[in-house]
Amino acid sequence: MIDFLNLRTLLTAFLLCIAAGAWADPPPNYPFVSYDKGLKMAKETGKPIFLYFGRYGCAWCDHTNKQSFSSAELKKMYPEHFVLVYVDAESGKRLRLPSGERITEAELGTRFKAFATPLFVYLTPQGQEIFKAPGFKTVQDFKDFDRYVVEGHYKTQTLLEFLARK
Amino acid sequence: MKRCAAILMLLAMPAFAGWQFSPAVEAGAAKDKKVFHHLESANRKGVAESDGRVAVAWEDDRTGEPRCWLAVREKAAPAFSGPQALSAGECYEPVAQGMGKGRFVAAWEEDGAVWVKQAGKGKALKLSREEAAHITLARADEGTLYAAWAEMAGNFKRIMLARLTLEANGLKAEYSVPLEDALPIDDQAYPALAVSADGGVTAVWEDRRKKHTEMLAAHSADGKTFTAPYRLIDRPQVRTMDLGAGMGSMRPVLTACGPGCLVALWLDKRDFLSGYDVYAAFSHDGGRSFGRNLKVQDSFGDNIAQWHPAVAASHGGRVVAAWDDERDGTADIWLSDWDGKAFSDDIAVPGASGPGVQSDPVILLDDSGTLHVAWLEKTDAGGTRLKYASAVWKD
Repeated sequence: MIDFLNLRTLLTAFLLCIAAGAWADPPPNYPFVSYDKGLKMAKETGKPIFLYFGRYGCAWCDHTNKQSFSSAELKKMYPEHFVLVYVDAESGKRLRLPSGERITEAELGTRFKAFATPLFVYLTPQGQEIFKAPGFKTVQDFKDFDRYVVEGHYKTQTLLEFLARK
Repeated sequence: MKRCAAILMLLAMPAFAGWQFSPAVEAGAAKDKKVFHHLESANRKGVAESDGRVAVAWEDDRTGEPRCWLAVREKAAPAFSGPQALSAGECYEPVAQGMGKGRFVAAWEEDGAVWVKQAGKGKALKLSREEAAHITLARADEGTLYAAWAEMAGNFKRIMLARLTLEANGLKAEYSVPLEDALPIDDQAYPALAVSADGGVTAVWEDRRKKHTEMLAAHSADGKTFTAPYRLIDRPQVRTMDLGAGMGSMRPVLTACGPGCLVALWLDKRDFLSGYDVYAAFSHDGGRSFGRNLKVQDSFGDNIAQWHPAVAASHGGRVVAAWDDERDGTADIWLSDWDGKAFSDDIAVPGASGPGVQSDPVILLDDSGTLHVAWLEKTDAGGTRLKYASAVWKD
């Protein structure tokens, strides 16, 4: 009977843990900022932008956060190399575009065609899109993307060409 | 013989039953200025009709900051009036409601509060006490309407409802109540409201209490006390690797479609690889429950994302859905009619499809059966134009 109760308690705790980790936010311990603030920071610092479209409750975002963004290497590399921007693709939170237009985060998702989350968009310091990568990505994927953008390979070759020659 | 041939030709001709659109006109033009118009609002209520007068409500930045505006097209007039300012401060997501006898009521968010006003009469009423947004309106009868909005209560916003009456000197708020007494445990947003023929009030909104964004509904027989919220999504709430705490869904719209009939639409991500689809559910008991979920767009729209859904219905049961998608390369406005069993093949709106970017529809069916559509058109300079057309159904 005691064993059965313990098992039930453990199971309940396990389910609660799963539920508690079920929603997606930016990965912890990264300096993610809003889109409009990020555009301003990128212009000031000359850093490219790493734009992360997530969704509240998105499992693949949560999975990416836990499996990839937990990497100590990425934790050091990405804040050094990029201005980090997080957007909730279903949110009504407002932001201001460089044109002066005010839109919601969900509307920004529409314009970037963020039809699936997570969606990772790499932008130049001027806010121009370099490429988009939808879905779960490994630590190695993020390291490859970092090299492609930071070393300027995107100016002369496509991402597929770069990855093939790697 | 000739007569037989003519009859055969007539029989062979396809039936062209469908919406016959008027030429599109521009509303809210800002001469020689690049302006960004927006038609986003809770329940996408940016177009209204009242005794032949048509009103369009929108937000734009012609003054340098977001402001809300209303323009009216008089009965049988070819063009809309110049924009009338609804707000003095920073303003978002205005809505308009026709109240009969040529009257309109408008509501909007300004400086973090929600406001309502009879167009051209009286002072604006502030309905919220705390930070608030996403206001919408629904008419009960010629002298009564309801407003719903999202207002901070503790750490999150929750849905509020107010009953308003049109008095000789403008609007009066009779009362305001939360849909639920308990403080919210996560955000609630973008309410859509409808009033049934029996006076019952139904609200549908975005709710995050289950750690994802889902569609919840609640019904009130007296417009004051609501049932416990219930889910509109007919899929079981199961955590999966694909969908996390639950699938994505957002921006519900709702309208009455006859005695006891309500129809809700929303953006739905159950097919998460191809983006949002437009889904619908009908209620046949005045909002006490909703039936199974139906995909609205046709198969040609399945592999691309749909955005900005809107719905209009007549009390005779005609239901029209509208949205934008890029199946033909650039964003166009699409319509689908409910035939009583299913939504029709999709129809591109003339003047709101083809080259260029046309998006963000708001629609209304008036008592005469006229369909009113307003939308945004991207300009070559990178700004937007606000366009409007009406349509009548020809059998």
